[in-house]
Amino acid sequence: MAAADSTEKPFVLIETSDGIEIRVDREVAERSVLIKNLLEDLGPEAAEQGAIPIPNVNEAVMRKVLEWCEQHKKDPPAAADDDADNRKKTTDIDEWDQKFMQVDQEMLFEIILAANYLDIKALLDVGCKTVANMIKGKSPDEIRKTFNIQNDFTPEEEDQIRRENEWAEDR
Amino acid sequence: MSNFKRAIAPSPSRVMASLKATQIVATKPILPAELIATILDHLPIADLFRFARTSRRMREMVYDDTRWIARLKSMSAWNETEARQRFEEGLKRKVEAQKLREAEERKKADVGIGLPPNEPNGTKEEHGVGGDRKASTTLFDAGWEEEKAKATREISRDRRGTLEGNFEKLGLNSHEVVSRSASVLDPAAALDILNRVRSIRGGARQEYGKVYGALAPYYFDLARSRSHTDPILFRTYRDPEEQAQMLAQLKVFAKSDFAQGWHERHEKLETMIAVFENAVLREFEQGYELKDVDGKMHRYAHVLTTLNGGAAGVDTFIHNHPLMVDKDILGSPMECLNGVSGEHFDSRPSEDFFRRLAGSVNEQSATIDRVFPPTANVLIPFLERITDEIIADYITTLFDEAHERNIDSYLKAVSGVFGQSLRFSRSIEATKGASKDFPDQVVAIVARAFEPHVDLYLTEELDYFKKRTEAEVRAWETRLEAEEASTESFYMSNVGRQAAKRDFLSSFRKVVMLPVNAVSSIPLSSPFGGTSAKLNASPVTDLNGDTSYHSPYGKTLEPVTPRSSTPQPGERASSPKPEAPTTELAAKAAIMSTRLDAIKSLFSIEVALDLIHKAKTSLERAAVFVQLGGQSGEETKEQCEAIFVQLLHQLGDRHVRTGFDKAVAHLSAYNPREAVAHSPDTGVQPLVTFIELVNVGDLIQQMVDVFFIQELVAQKLVDRDDFLSPAVKEKKKFEGMLDERVAAGLNKGIDVLMDEVEYICGTTQKPSDYNPPVGADLDVGVSETATRIVELVGGHTRMLIGSTEKNMLDVFNQEVGVRLFTVLCKHLKRQRVSCDGAVKLISDTNAYHAYISTLKNKSLTPYFSALRELSQIYLIAPTHAKDIATIIADQDRYYGILRAEDVYEFAERRADWYTVKPAVERAMYGIGCSVM
Repeated sequence: MAAADSTEKPFVLIETSDGIEIRVDREVAERSVLIKNLLEDLGPEAAEQGAIPIPNVNEAVMRKVLEWCEQHKKDPPAAADDDADNRKKTTDIDEWDQKFMQVDQEMLFEIILAANYLDIKALLDVGCKTVANMIKGKSPDEIRKTFNIQNDFTPEEEDQIRRENEWAEDR
Repeated sequence: MSNFKRAIAPSPSRVMASLKATQIVATKPILPAELIATILDHLPIADLFRFARTSRRMREMVYDDTRWIARLKSMSAWNETEARQRFEEGLKRKVEAQKLREAEERKKADVGIGLPPNEPNGTKEEHGVGGDRKASTTLFDAGWEEEKAKATREISRDRRGTLEGNFEKLGLNSHEVVSRSASVLDPAAALDILNRVRSIRGGARQEYGKVYGALAPYYFDLARSRSHTDPILFRTYRDPEEQAQMLAQLKVFAKSDFAQGWHERHEKLETMIAVFENAVLREFEQGYELKDVDGKMHRYAHVLTTLNGGAAGVDTFIHNHPLMVDKDILGSPMECLNGVSGEHFDSRPSEDFFRRLAGSVNEQSATIDRVFPPTANVLIPFLERITDEIIADYITTLFDEAHERNIDSYLKAVSGVFGQSLRFSRSIEATKGASKDFPDQVVAIVARAFEPHVDLYLTEELDYFKKRTEAEVRAWETRLEAEEASTESFYMSNVGRQAAKRDFLSSFRKVVMLPVNAVSSIPLSSPFGGTSAKLNASPVTDLNGDTSYHSPYGKTLEPVTPRSSTPQPGERASSPKPEAPTTELAAKAAIMSTRLDAIKSLFSIEVALDLIHKAKTSLERAAVFVQLGGQSGEETKEQCEAIFVQLLHQLGDRHVRTGFDKAVAHLSAYNPREAVAHSPDTGVQPLVTFIELVNVGDLIQQMVDVFFIQELVAQKLVDRDDFLSPAVKEKKKFEGMLDERVAAGLNKGIDVLMDEVEYICGTTQKPSDYNPPVGADLDVGVSETATRIVELVGGHTRMLIGSTEKNMLDVFNQEVGVRLFTVLCKHLKRQRVSCDGAVKLISDTNAYHAYISTLKNKSLTPYFSALRELSQIYLIAPTHAKDIATIIADQDRYYGILRAEDVYEFAERRADWYTVKPAVERAMYGIGCSVM
């Protein structure tokens, strides 16, 4: 293994929930703060001990996530105090990410969940923004349909909410 | 480290294994609440509420109060203390209401059920847990809030007054109570909507709703519009004042816009505001050109202030100000230097400059009051500009030119102009809106212009001072060297010849100096000793001390000035004797320099005074800059200390120490046998000189002390008790050096004095004094030798009184006494004393004793008492040899100072010793044996 080290980039093995091992460049895998911290805590040999189990994420999603990580591996790491003010404000989704997020809704949710679990802030943000864009401009009914939400309001109740917040209606 | 690694090594695999063992049972694509909350953050407001309508869970999430508080906070419209207060009051009311309700419910149970069980009435109280009772309570709460809001409007407004206080004047009381459900507010009410936001826990959404309802239409419309004529805002509001106010509100509101595309909207808003601002600014400038102070200028200045604090208007106002445009009317810096020569600096043109400037600034201050609202801070930036552009220019040119021409005039200019500028800044009148520390601010601003010059100035000042003092000391030294040769010859030989002339001169000097002397006392007299701070008060109080000082001083000094009476035309001319001394220092210099000619070859009090005077000028110039405060102020203080240290260095190390060293060298070289002329009442020449020197050294030290207190401590440049400060340290060093020299010199001085005593003993004591030929007249008086010794020693010890520390004086006196005793004993052992001569000897010893007792030195008196007792052994007639023996053996007589053997030795000096010896010895040893 020592011989391989000099020529190859360091890599890690990731084991997904359906038991598939994926080999990834360490640099790519470390976009995930979870994996990064894990590797740091366990020491350098940890990666050689075997695959890191990620029991929440299946192979398809993991590959998708890693695709994103590969694309964004050169991004500067998010600043620690980033979530203070700027992160609150929604920035635009860049073109590559927009295309990347053109997946079915189930996959989109899986990606968001995986990003949340793996602690990849930027990916989580992109996912949330995409979902927000899906909600934008839709009527409550459409939203329910899209997100499979059970309506537990009486029509009066629903109307009450609308009246209460008339001020926010689109003009 | 290695331990740690080894311990952890096996764990990774175990961790992996345990992780592997964990199984997630099912993964469903349903997002957890926290993720939905994150998604909601990205939604525009309108979509938020559509989303809220999908289900209860979603509604709760959207209605979550923290979400809305965050938005209010982003507009700085949330006041946590107010909210807490409100919440606590609400809680109290709720408890009361609940009690009331419970009482009511017991009576009419069906009333409470009348309410729809789950009606969402808008306020989802965070402290509540739901249920119908709670719902109605909140309804009550909200209603009560409205009522209370009316009452507390004024208060909460004041509290928020700092945020947008300038909106207040447009207060629209009729529209204060805005219905919660009103989605479209009328335009007038929207004008100060941001001012009316209340901080209510659980009510943040409603409050934000009001703001949103009022501002969002304009905001989004503005963001969509293409040109500046499009937006509804400009059509709804026609007044520039109102437009400005709305734009300012929108700017704040924009901060709560988190949704996608906010950046574009912000930019749009910014450009719109800029366009608007430019238009208003143009109007303002037109007004400016027309000098329409109360009309256009006033109006548009207020509009600009409403819009964004009015910075642009202030800037335009300042920039186009006539003062900025033609600066030359105030005067040219060159006027201060032209027309005067050399090292002088004419302060009048610069004084005029500052006066004119202050005049026009004060004029402007009035205009500013008329044009701008009090909240706009105009005068300060205006002054900043004036300082930067006018004052800085002026002084830079002035200082540069002065620096090139002459350092002296440069130093004067910097310090002088700075003082003028301080006066200038104090003469500026504050505008109405100015804060309390306005004068300080002005001083700080003006002082800033000087900051770049301070460093150079301080360095130059120190350099200049160093150079000047060094030159002074060196000039004095070279002059001295030139005179050295001639002085030395007079020093030894001229005593006799010059005596008459000297007498005349000294008495002449005394007469001339006396009036001045009476006015300004010399701080040599003892009352003046420690507390030299009283210097100015001393002339009256010290007169007595002064005169008492003079008699011994003059007496010993007069004969001692042969050297000085050497014609020194240059010196004479320079000494300010004939003129009436203008200052106390000058007066002292006059007195001292004439009277202390004796030590002119060692060091000069005039030089010392001159140095101190120079230091004083430098310090006073530099000290002005302490008012700068901050770093420059500190640097100035340091530099002032450095000047003082430099002064002490020059004065102490260069000037005084060499003098002392020389004097000590003279002392050690002194040999009484080689000194040719010993006029009867002369002291030991070098010792007198040296004691003179000690006096002057003490004087200088006191001058330095006074200087230190008045110039440094009183001006708060140095803390007196700060033992780490270099000035204080250097002063201590200086004093220590002086003491050390004095001690060394006195040590030598005692040697010399005793040499002299021995010399007198050897040369003047005639054998017949104590052993008169038989039949001669019995003279019972004191012998000449004793008189002269007492005079000599007494004269010298007296000279020291008041000039050194008492301790040092005591030690000196004691040493002198003991040594004198030894010398006298030695002398006595060389004499032959007959019974007749014993009377004279007793008189002599009495004289010594009387002298010693004047010293009031307890440990000395026994010596001379013993000597007195001893002299009695010579008085006993040879027939009473036994008594001689008794006296010799009587130890108590001699206070333990002389042993029997010593006394026996003295007894041997009896003229008839060989005749009485057997009897005495028999008596002594015989008696002794029998006693034994």
